[in-house]
Amino acid sequence: MTTETLSLPLTETATPVDQDELAQQVADCFAGQVPIYPLGGCTSLDYGLTPQQEGIGLSLEKINRLVDFPARDLTLTVEAGMTMATIAELVAEEGLQLPIHVPDAGQASIGGVIATNWNGPARPGYGTIRDYVIGISAVDGKGLPYRGGGRVVKNVAGYDFCKLLTGSLGTLGVITQVTLRLKPIPPQATTLAVPLSDLEQAENLLSGLVDSQATPYAVELLSGEHWQDCPALDTDSPWHLTLSCCGSEEEVSWMVGQLEQELQEQALPAAQQLTDDEHQQLWDELVEFPAGKEDPLVIQATMVPSGTTTFIHEARQLDPACSIQAHAASGIVVVRFAEFPEDGLSRTLVGTLQPVAALAHGNVVILSNPSGREMTARSTWGSIPAPLSLLSRIKNNFDPGNLLNPGRFVYS
Amino acid sequence: MVSPTIAQVLGPLREIVGAKNLLTSASERIVYECDGFVVEKNSPDVVVFPTSTDQVARIVQACNEADIPFLPRGAGTSLAGGCLPVGGGVMIVLTRMKEILEINLRDHYAVVQPGVVNVWLTQALSGSGYHYAPDPSSQSACTIGGNVATNSGGPHTLKYGVTVNHVLGVEAVLADGSIAMIGGPAGEMPGPDLVGALVGSEGTLAIVTRVWVRLTRDPQGYRTMLGIFESVDDATHAISAIIGAGMIPAALEMMDQGILVALEEAFQFGFPLDAQAILLIEVDGLEAGLDTQRDDIIRFCEESGAREVRMAADQQERLKLWKCRKQAFGAIGRLSSSFCTQDGVVPRTQLPNIFKKIQETSEKYDIRIVNVFHAGDGNLHPILLFDERDPDQVRRVMEASGEILEACLEAGGSVTGEHGIGVEKIRYMNKMFRDSDLQAMRQLRDAFNPDNRLSPDKMLPTAGACGMEQTHPGRQAAL
Repeated sequence: MTTETLSLPLTETATPVDQDELAQQVADCFAGQVPIYPLGGCTSLDYGLTPQQEGIGLSLEKINRLVDFPARDLTLTVEAGMTMATIAELVAEEGLQLPIHVPDAGQASIGGVIATNWNGPARPGYGTIRDYVIGISAVDGKGLPYRGGGRVVKNVAGYDFCKLLTGSLGTLGVITQVTLRLKPIPPQATTLAVPLSDLEQAENLLSGLVDSQATPYAVELLSGEHWQDCPALDTDSPWHLTLSCCGSEEEVSWMVGQLEQELQEQALPAAQQLTDDEHQQLWDELVEFPAGKEDPLVIQATMVPSGTTTFIHEARQLDPACSIQAHAASGIVVVRFAEFPEDGLSRTLVGTLQPVAALAHGNVVILSNPSGREMTARSTWGSIPAPLSLLSRIKNNFDPGNLLNPGRFVYS
Repeated sequence: MVSPTIAQVLGPLREIVGAKNLLTSASERIVYECDGFVVEKNSPDVVVFPTSTDQVARIVQACNEADIPFLPRGAGTSLAGGCLPVGGGVMIVLTRMKEILEINLRDHYAVVQPGVVNVWLTQALSGSGYHYAPDPSSQSACTIGGNVATNSGGPHTLKYGVTVNHVLGVEAVLADGSIAMIGGPAGEMPGPDLVGALVGSEGTLAIVTRVWVRLTRDPQGYRTMLGIFESVDDATHAISAIIGAGMIPAALEMMDQGILVALEEAFQFGFPLDAQAILLIEVDGLEAGLDTQRDDIIRFCEESGAREVRMAADQQERLKLWKCRKQAFGAIGRLSSSFCTQDGVVPRTQLPNIFKKIQETSEKYDIRIVNVFHAGDGNLHPILLFDERDPDQVRRVMEASGEILEACLEAGGSVTGEHGIGVEKIRYMNKMFRDSDLQAMRQLRDAFNPDNRLSPDKMLPTAGACGMEQTHPGRQAAL
């Protein structure tokens, strides 16, 4: 993607060739009080408030090298500009994976994935990116290079900057290098798709899974026009619940049998086991769905899992033509609106959906809103579960000039 | 003699917690002079036992008004001096905040107060099909608040991760006495991961007063094995073979001959006393896959030269094996009156080299060293045995410890995998991190704790000094 097409107020874009040069450029910007917009793969620039201050783009495009891959230690150290697809390819050669699945993996950089805390459907089986970053290097808003963690899987020396920078949206430092822990690729994976007639059936199935002996690594509840075109799913059903299982051949086969039996016992519709091709095709769809950049509004709600179906019901009341993907065992719901809400975002999100999520200890954020309309701090980020005064003190200590991605996140 | 500043705060503290929840006499305060790191000792000036978050907040406010340092403490099982009251002040002991407030299986979380002992939650969840995964060896005594402060590990971290991987949110009293909710039962929230940054901050950023923890599905079954090896090299090669084959056992622990002798004397389990090393290996998960995993592990051990691989016959035997492992440190007293445990980490594949280095160090300094490792994680616990009445032995133990930790750093590792920096390892922070890294750490601490009244002189070297000068190795009682 060329930086001219980006929705950022850039005066120019710098492409440092290494981490030292990047640190120097940040230091120069600090001296001149020039805002900096870190650019990884530029796949999530719609996430968050739209920055208004002119500044320079700082591309990580050339800071994308492999640093160390001791495969038998199950760790990988790379520069932050390396794409997720390159990482996947590299580690797959040793039978390993970074089990974080993001849209546009060929474009998305690992630094950007950490900065946006972007996670895919495999949360129940594999957790989130915060569970995989064991070492991190960054440059703060003054040009100070800093690192935390290390290259070993267990380490409690010093404050955990790996966590602090996860979700920090490039506002506390430009991430330049990371060490990741890896997992073996399981020998087998498959998906069971359960066609459902209504949300009540979905709720029954999801409640039943709490006691299930099977341990699917992804549990997705899908509805809406988008999924009607998905060849892997039964197009006659308005709802689909998909259960993906992985492990050894014995484990996968046992889980499939067990889940089929549990569905039968609960008098729920029979599951269809997808072919390997269908499983892969559906998985790709599940990973790419939240990108939805052609849609007028995409939101993501996070809550405790028991709130999922109530939230979906409310979202469909607001836009019956929306398409929905819920990582249902994790309480995450992505809604792609078919139309920009007529009532506006303050009513739709702030007035309706955010309170529904809050009842389930949750929150709603905007993933993309191409029109840019009504992007207030409240509609964009909802209610942040941490004191803003504390967040702002951290921001001020790491970026006293407010130069790193200014305006993206809420700091008081 | 109570200093005038302390006298000034006694009245307000008594009013907040009541006379029965406050200690001032020297004989009572001495209990709180150290944690499991007994080298450095200092009694707090006052000890208070709040019973609510509101009380903690008011205590902190009172300390701020009187400009007195304060720090939290759980059960005091930490091993690096994390709750040592450097410079005295008010110690806030959280063991009377010990309620399990909620267990929610549908949404896989529990809410606990910080003084809940780790094993109480295990017991409360027994039979529910869920458990709280972090199980440090001190779990029958340590508190969940303390686990959060130190980001505790334990033998099952290889598969399940450490405390931070299981904490969804906290309620905390900040250094200014305000009460903050950070994160919550839903876990992922927008913005920097402050919950993650708080876990493992050793009580220097905030005082945690409520914790939302993730609950994990119980495995359907276990297979627990004991691989018996003629050499430590063979055992470490077996570890590499197992992990290299793409298996992630729930636990992979190594004990050398020295510790086996002590364990056998203590527990009469039937450990072979002539073996040079044993691996305690546990796989868990769906029954369907366990026998295959067990067979693979037995094969890897045998191919690496194991003399024998035994299986725990039943749950009773499995629990006895784990009891032996978790109480390994208790058995050390049978070998030596004084001992010092280190907590270095190396990349797993470096285990054979670091073990060789430990043996060389043992010979060089003429100090006996026995080993119990969280081998799957590359987390070493070399235990240096000595007689603390002999100053020369004390000196040699200090030097040998330093040499082992330096070797861990040279191998690309860390000086602490789970015990923390506290005061014990402050002197290594300059070796692990650059000045700019430490400056960034100060930036974070100052945002939370700008006056540095909350647990001062911990974790980060102060300007012009490297923390406290250590003149004596730690005699540590638990792992």
